[in-house]
Amino acid sequence: MSNVDRRQFLKLVGAGGVGAGAGFMLAESIKHPVEYLIPYPIPPEEFSPGIATWYNSVCGMCPAGCGISVRTREGRAKKIEGNPLHPVNQGRLCALGQAGLQSLYNPDRLTGPMLQSGERGSEEFIQTTWEESLATVAHRLAAARDGGKNIYLLSEGVRGHLAMLLERFMGGLGSEHLMHYDFAHPHALYAANQRLFGEHALPYYDIRNTRYLLSFGADYLSNWLSPVHHSLGFGHSRQGTDLDRGRFVQIEAKMSLSGAAADEWIPARPGSEGILALGLAHQILAGGSYTGSDFDDWNAALENYSADSVAERTGVAAKTIVRLASEFTKAEPGLAIGGGAVDNHSNAVDTLVAVNLLNYLVGNIGKPGGVVFNSDPVVGGPANNRQANFIAMQQLAEQARQGAIDVLIVNNTNPVFTLPHASGFREALASIPMIVSLSSFMDETTTMADVILPSHSYLESWGDDMPQPGLGFPVAAISQPVVSPLYNTRATGDIILDLAGKLGMKDSMPWDSMEACLKDGWRQIYERSSPDASDFDTFWRDVLVSGVWGEDIHRQDTVVVDKSVIDNIDVAEPEFSGDSEQYPFFLHPYMSTAMYDGRGANLPWMQELPDPMTSIVYGSWVEMNPATAKRLGLLDGDLVSIASEHGSLEAPVVIFPAIMPEVIAMPIGQGHNAFGRYARDRGVNPLQILAPITATSSGSLATHATRVSLTATGRRAPPVQTGGETRQLGRNIVQFTDAGSTPGGHSANLNSIPIVVKTT
Amino acid sequence: MNFIDRFMASWRKYRKPGYYEEFDYAWTMTIDLDRCTGCGACVTACQAENNIPIVGEKELGRGREMQWIRIERYWEGEYPNAKLSFIPMLCQHCDAAPCETVCPVSATYHNQDGLNTQIYNRCIGTRSCAVYCPYEVRYFNYYDHHWDAPLEQQLNPDVTVREKGVMEKCTFCVQRIRQAKDHAKDDGRRRVKDGEVQPACVQTCPSEAMTFGDRKDANSVVAKKMNDPRAYHVLEETNTLPSVVYLKKVSANAD
Repeated sequence: MSNVDRRQFLKLVGAGGVGAGAGFMLAESIKHPVEYLIPYPIPPEEFSPGIATWYNSVCGMCPAGCGISVRTREGRAKKIEGNPLHPVNQGRLCALGQAGLQSLYNPDRLTGPMLQSGERGSEEFIQTTWEESLATVAHRLAAARDGGKNIYLLSEGVRGHLAMLLERFMGGLGSEHLMHYDFAHPHALYAANQRLFGEHALPYYDIRNTRYLLSFGADYLSNWLSPVHHSLGFGHSRQGTDLDRGRFVQIEAKMSLSGAAADEWIPARPGSEGILALGLAHQILAGGSYTGSDFDDWNAALENYSADSVAERTGVAAKTIVRLASEFTKAEPGLAIGGGAVDNHSNAVDTLVAVNLLNYLVGNIGKPGGVVFNSDPVVGGPANNRQANFIAMQQLAEQARQGAIDVLIVNNTNPVFTLPHASGFREALASIPMIVSLSSFMDETTTMADVILPSHSYLESWGDDMPQPGLGFPVAAISQPVVSPLYNTRATGDIILDLAGKLGMKDSMPWDSMEACLKDGWRQIYERSSPDASDFDTFWRDVLVSGVWGEDIHRQDTVVVDKSVIDNIDVAEPEFSGDSEQYPFFLHPYMSTAMYDGRGANLPWMQELPDPMTSIVYGSWVEMNPATAKRLGLLDGDLVSIASEHGSLEAPVVIFPAIMPEVIAMPIGQGHNAFGRYARDRGVNPLQILAPITATSSGSLATHATRVSLTATGRRAPPVQTGGETRQLGRNIVQFTDAGSTPGGHSANLNSIPIVVKTT
Repeated sequence: MNFIDRFMASWRKYRKPGYYEEFDYAWTMTIDLDRCTGCGACVTACQAENNIPIVGEKELGRGREMQWIRIERYWEGEYPNAKLSFIPMLCQHCDAAPCETVCPVSATYHNQDGLNTQIYNRCIGTRSCAVYCPYEVRYFNYYDHHWDAPLEQQLNPDVTVREKGVMEKCTFCVQRIRQAKDHAKDDGRRRVKDGEVQPACVQTCPSEAMTFGDRKDANSVVAKKMNDPRAYHVLEETNTLPSVVYLKKVSANAD
């Protein structure tokens, strides 16, 4: 790389059409914009028209932290691909990650700072300047700080130096109320790991090297923790080694994408998955392979979980339980994971402890193909200790209602959409005198803001990230701007630093930009890592070019489970809202790759990506078992009303072959009443009718604890489906072979290179 | 030799499997159905790379989707033994492509790399090719499509934006193949190396189900995968000689 100043370079590159940087805006607004046919008659030094430039950065579409390489041409981002050097995704990327470009070039982005001019939620805003809006906010924050009033900061789950900045900023304001809120955060998994392993963290689940994966509800190929990494592991375990083909078993009430990929899909009664896990543990102990010194304690604790009693409680056949336990024990190694619905029942922590116990009993802790613990991230201390669970969010709402919150700053998170109506969160916001939103889009929460400080897209910002869950060794990656800012927006870090400067916090935050802050912070990484680079500047450039930094440090742990945990091992009966007479069905709301928690809804590519299980685009639906539909006299496309104790919705029926008869499933993500033209007024949001039941000891929302009733409306509203016939009808399009079959058959001379075709 | 004889001679030459033997490459894709999870990353990667328009809900409701690669799904059995299988379906780049013989203006033809290509500005929109294609992977532009500003800034400058009345389909990312050939030439190599070029779908596939390469190179990854006993062609009985090779899904039934 040459000596060209990067920022200057990016400004030059982007100065063609409307894409001028914030610094240019003032000057540009006075004169008529000049448009060039070829935007750069004199291109910057390292830039040739027609030749793509690639920048490595970090994906910001979900919390997994995949590395990306962005292809830019003439200063515009054209394509996002995975960064092959990044160990999380190794060059691969999911659909949502690919669609990040449409979040950058989204027609509904916020283009400049705004002040609410009408009623809250009316979406009447007037444009303002950064100077004025920041001065307003700083003035208000200073008054609140000096007056001893409460300031809350509610952020999306951020990591690395931005997390550190938020800590210091709130520290400087003398406020304890820094909360991270992510809808999909696995609170119960953290709590379960704390209870069994004494560690409030996510371990690395080594799917790549396992030969037998027992997944309790975790949709690990679609949205659970780190789906791209899990997919890589899945592919490798299936067909990437000379070892036996990996076998995958999925236990869940409604078949997810991972359930479809599994070799065996086993429906278990909602909320009983933990009992099944303890039943398997009982069988493992009975099999005699576990030889730990606490064998007798476990045996005593699990004596009530014989196959027959577990079969009765879970609805899984006793024969199957015995077989699963035996297969799991014999596998070298086997791995058990839990998430999705299992993470979202009232007994989620018990259940996940039971799932983790399986890993403990077959001795795969700290082993390849098992559960590997991570060391603390290199920057920012133990991650996610600020994550707010549902109880914390309800407390926030309660504080607001009591008038105890003076200023609420929201950073790029949308609790108004993802929290149920019953939480009263949206209404509580009305009692907060000042709400400031840092967001790129007019989402439901931002419509409630008094001041909007529009933030950059992740493709325009500096930042860094330590992926969670880690990979068993420390990894850090730098996020760098790949295009110059499109609009009059600012990076979240720069906004915080600016406010900090105005509030006299220069001592703890001396940097004048996020970039400077990062560079300063990465000096520590440079010093601890003794890299090949001769000086820091070389190291910094190397990291920017590769996009990622890693360290070969692995923890060696032995886990000893406390006797009190063993004695108290149990899975409580799941709690459900609504009685079974009036509300006969369990509601199963689920996330998809495309929509995630609803953030994909404003991206047209994601709206047009057919749901893999149903091929539906643009809309909401409710899935039910063919027997259920028959009993209720419902056909595909009939509009039904789904009612819980806390509200009702209307959605069309989709008959789905792999769902339990007493369960109905609805996708999360649609049903926005703001968030731009592609998302708005489309479908329904099942999260809105959930009961405010929390999981014991993790305090997270039990999204699967709501019972509902179904009523036909007599109307039809078939969803738009791209797929055709769902059965093969003898066409043999997808062909199968037996696992144990040996190569054979005849050799057909096709395409002049022989393909061996097996005759059946 | 009269016109009819000349026509028949070249016709027979054209229909002979492997008639392109004298050319350099035979691009081939393999898709391992035992690895495919149906996640749809390939679909979005293709849309981003190839300037595929956003059609809108109304047009999609009329079956006018525009996705050069799609995920087909097939159910087997009934609850509780229902199973779902996915198969990515894209232009198979058949060596004996039914779409090519039927085009009245030769807008679709076989190029020297064994690709089935579409010349957009020659296409007059009869849609015959779409009717003849047994894989249903050809998509017609019923309208001029529109990108809400500034979404058009994302459009790939290496790929044409198609207009109303034109048929389009998967190209195996011919722009990437061209670029790889140029690079090879710049480096003084006669051939593109195995793995040097990957279409957008193959590049992004999170479970590494897809591979791409030249089957004329016996050491290439695709040539090896083609010799896997699981290899098969979809709708083989139609004798279209596809360049996309699927690997059978392994059904590991319990007990």
